[in-house]
Amino acid sequence: MADEIRAEMVANVWKVVASAGDTVDEGDTLVILESMKMEIPVLAEGAGTLKQIAVNEGDVVQEGDLIAVIE
Amino acid sequence: MTRSSALDDHAVVDHRDPEARLRALFDAGTLRLVAPRDDSGVLAARGEIDGTPAVAYATDATRMGGALGTEGCRHVVDAIDAAVRERIPVLGLWHSGGARLAEGVVALDAVGQVFAAMVRASGRVPQISVVLGPAAGGAAYGPALTDVVVMSGAGRIFVTGPEVVRSVTGEQVDMERLGGPEPHGRRSGVVHVTTKDDETALVEARRLAALLGRQGRLSPVDVATDDPGHDLTGTMPEAANRAYDVKPVVQALLDEPGVELHAKWAPNIVTTLGRFAGRTVGVVANNPLRLGGCLDAASAEKAARFVRMCDSLGVPLVVLVDVPGYLPGLGQEWDGVVRRGAKLLHAFAEAVVPRVTLVTRKAYGGAYIAMNSRSLGATAVFAWPDAEIAVMGASAAVNVLHRKKLAATPPEEREAVRQQLVEQQIKEAGGVQRALEIGVVDDVIEPGETRRRIAEALAAAPAARGAHGNIPL
Repeated sequence: MADEIRAEMVANVWKVVASAGDTVDEGDTLVILESMKMEIPVLAEGAGTLKQIAVNEGDVVQEGDLIAVIE
Repeated sequence: MTRSSALDDHAVVDHRDPEARLRALFDAGTLRLVAPRDDSGVLAARGEIDGTPAVAYATDATRMGGALGTEGCRHVVDAIDAAVRERIPVLGLWHSGGARLAEGVVALDAVGQVFAAMVRASGRVPQISVVLGPAAGGAAYGPALTDVVVMSGAGRIFVTGPEVVRSVTGEQVDMERLGGPEPHGRRSGVVHVTTKDDETALVEARRLAALLGRQGRLSPVDVATDDPGHDLTGTMPEAANRAYDVKPVVQALLDEPGVELHAKWAPNIVTTLGRFAGRTVGVVANNPLRLGGCLDAASAEKAARFVRMCDSLGVPLVVLVDVPGYLPGLGQEWDGVVRRGAKLLHAFAEAVVPRVTLVTRKAYGGAYIAMNSRSLGATAVFAWPDAEIAVMGASAAVNVLHRKKLAATPPEEREAVRQQLVEQQIKEAGGVQRALEIGVVDDVIEPGETRRRIAEALAAAPAARGAHGNIPL
């Protein structure tokens, strides 16, 4: 089952750490956002294969925007 | 193929058997049934949990699916009232379809009396619910009225089951997605602790009953600062804007790993019950790993309920602060961040238990006030040497306060001027020295002496307990 990971808050995409095709475990950092003057890691909520990273560095994400899909 | 005797035993005992469930809850050999087993759908018992006396009731899923009628409800009310008289924890094991349809309104009246008994007991004795199977309708609101809800992998809570949902709205949904550990642990906040199986659920319920039922005495002299694993030195990342997980910090603070409540719901704040200097305390900590540690509507509500539970049961609080502010945005405002955030202000300001605050890194703005500040009546407020307490971060403050000056500065010099202003701002407004001068921080302490200093501050305060119930905020 595909697991969609969405932005929890408005933020800038500071770094994209993982790439599509990577094998990830629960708690792995996928992307690092920047908001409220803080670096905010986006973590995998389950184990699987990273199917898609939907953001690029420098993007602005709104709350609820798709960041990654894990299968 | 031969089968092991354990499997044979398992085959004989129905896993829904309430007596077997109660036996697994209590210490070996301590179970005593309050009344012989009957057809009421409820079995009540007494026993010990980790040596502490407790009362428990279990719905009997082998009798009409554990549905609740007049008699069964009377067993539950009697168990709760006995616990209140004797000031001991009461635990409920739930696996029930709700009120008995055949009894009609009489059953509804009886279930209502169970709710009333739970509210009478609220804040007077710890009430712990363990949901081991489907708990629907009235059986859903029973656990929801208690202090802590534990759910096993097979547990489900919903007001109306999948069939009713389908017939009324046409929505196709299964029981697990409707009310299993995942939705209630992560989305709704109904469940405090989720476990993979019944056995672990009962183990967690036992730990909670022991923590709340036998709270122990604070013993600051027993807090050695150099215990391996308990030195808080070096727990903060080098960079001020770097995220980190606060849970290992909470674990190092406590004597032994505690029980985290609502671990997956509103994870930007951590609420954990555990032993500290030999006594049960409640720890509230911002978690910079999630949402940068911002307070938001859900996390404020989660912390508020935890604070009120601890206050009503006489459990002192330790508050670890590293908060950049309240989460801004349309979603938050419409989600009631003002109304739900106000609950946290109210909860801390009314709490009479000893409550000590430690600012580890930063405390900004309205969120600074909400995190058990001096103004809300904290017993003591400590800060680590590099902590910053301010209306907002120095960099953001300079951009607002010196907007004109920066605009008038030639672009090539602007960054240097900005840096200078930021340093000046930190010194004048945000540094821990200023917070000490105006008395909102009592003392600057080293990470290595943190456990001892917090233990001493808690021990010096008079023991007290809030005179209120624990409404499920």
